[in-house]
Amino acid sequence: MPNPRATASIAGHPLHVMLVPIPISCFIGVLATDIAYWCSLNPQWADFSAWLVSIGVIVAAIAAILGLIDFAGERRIRSLAAAWIHGLGNVLVLLLATCNAFVHSRDGYTAVVPTGLILSALTVLVLLVTGWNGWAMVHRHGVAVMGERP
Amino acid sequence: MTRRHLLAAAALVALCGCGPDADDPRKQIGPHPDLPAPHQYLIPPMHVVKNVGWGNAMPKVAAGLRITALARGLKNPRSVYALPNGDVLVAESDGPGEPVSRPKQIVMNLVEKRAHSSVKAGNRILLLRDTNGDGVADERHIFIDHLHSPFGMVLVGGDLYVADTDAVLRFSYQPGQTHIDGPGTLLTELPGGPIDHHWTKSLTASPDGSKLYAGVGSNSNITENGMAVERGRAAIWEIDRATGAHRLYATGLRNPNGLTFQPGTQTLWAVVNERDELGPDLVPDCLTSVKAGAFYGWPYSYYGQHVDPRVMPQRPDLVAKAIAPDYALSSHVAPLGLVFYDGTALPPVYRGGAFVGEHGSWDRPALNGYKVIYVPFSGGRPSGMARDVVTGFIDDDSAHGRPVGLAVDATGALLIADDVGGAVWRVTSAP
Repeated sequence: MPNPRATASIAGHPLHVMLVPIPISCFIGVLATDIAYWCSLNPQWADFSAWLVSIGVIVAAIAAILGLIDFAGERRIRSLAAAWIHGLGNVLVLLLATCNAFVHSRDGYTAVVPTGLILSALTVLVLLVTGWNGWAMVHRHGVAVMGERP
Repeated sequence: MTRRHLLAAAALVALCGCGPDADDPRKQIGPHPDLPAPHQYLIPPMHVVKNVGWGNAMPKVAAGLRITALARGLKNPRSVYALPNGDVLVAESDGPGEPVSRPKQIVMNLVEKRAHSSVKAGNRILLLRDTNGDGVADERHIFIDHLHSPFGMVLVGGDLYVADTDAVLRFSYQPGQTHIDGPGTLLTELPGGPIDHHWTKSLTASPDGSKLYAGVGSNSNITENGMAVERGRAAIWEIDRATGAHRLYATGLRNPNGLTFQPGTQTLWAVVNERDELGPDLVPDCLTSVKAGAFYGWPYSYYGQHVDPRVMPQRPDLVAKAIAPDYALSSHVAPLGLVFYDGTALPPVYRGGAFVGEHGSWDRPALNGYKVIYVPFSGGRPSGMARDVVTGFIDDDSAHGRPVGLAVDATGALLIADDVGGAVWRVTSAP
């Protein structure tokens, strides 16, 4: 039996997994630059945070749509518990990060401390769970992997 | 921003933590304004009106007054200055532009595009002359060209001083002259780019003419660009006219404009644009006398000891020294013009007090400002409620114009620079 197929793909290459490294890197980066701002009070770190969280949200929104297409397009993906945890968890990530982008649009210290910093940390915590389940979908259940299930 | 956008924004705000509604601005006019608790939003309330121009419409004036256009079709007239011979100088000016350092600025630039004039200013000073005294300028000359975002102008004897955004320049002037060639002589450099957030440099001279005073606004809303770029800013500079040497005359004034000495006194006055994004009713802009050596709070506090939580590290030592301004004008009205009236051409009710040009709000759900008001004075101090003098700049969700700089001309008429409307308005007594 072939592996579960990714509906949103080009020449058999799934688009969702191509995009997700960008928001994952951005959202982990925001936590790092928020901590750097908190420690240094150098506003340049807060500027970095604002760019990272904004770009992360935009790319994450596109990745979410592509992921939803894969989810809707393949019954065997929908039957995986990991897919549900991954999908719902990342909706939470997107909501947290969107709020965080608005908090980071404030001016001065309260653009980061404390609300922004807390939201950045929560985003990364939820990402650990959704990332783990995303990797399980690919590496354990073979979602969008070429070839046959043994 | 349309109502639909506003509703969407309001819904998002409601979703993510509600804020207070805008209160009656009159509670914030006078020496002791109501100061609500600061509130920080996910999306600050914004209400930006579309610029539609005047067409056949005119500003409205209070009873007993008449308004005419001294000139129309100007490109961003920001400030006016009346020369003793009756000629009127108008600075047509744009800000030098600010580099984008955060994604927020991209969004704000798109939003503000609607509110500002789409016309590109010449960055020059025009001379308007009314040769037949009918209140309409029949001659228009390019007086000084190739300036760098000029705003302040003051004549001392035969020297005309112009405050570009980054320098005070001196030009030699003969009465009746309609053009000055050359770049002028540099008197003093002022803090300019590359950020230059508040770029309008207001200018006046001491009554004896020995000193100049330049308003230098802050380089941010509330230090988000770092304190290093705030050196010499949020301050009024006192400049020695002979040597160009300067000292900070007063500090902690976020964006001081309309610098002028109260006639017959040695007291300098200014209107100040206060900080944004703490709520629709914070922080009230103000009209204040400026005491030598005083610290007025920015960025650490407002109205005395009200600490701003957005500034870190805080400076309790400076907050303790901060003094409150004299007279609040209510929040986000954006006062940019100030002129005392000691003439006799306007009705007696306008004697001894000050006119203030309010450019108008953008970060308040209910619009505020967009008018010229009169603040009565008694015993040398503001006294009583401000009254509306020139209104009609906004209709529902569109702006015909926005008042900026003010002056009183040689006949005692009030002149108003209207940047979005591209006009200079002239207010006289009704016949």
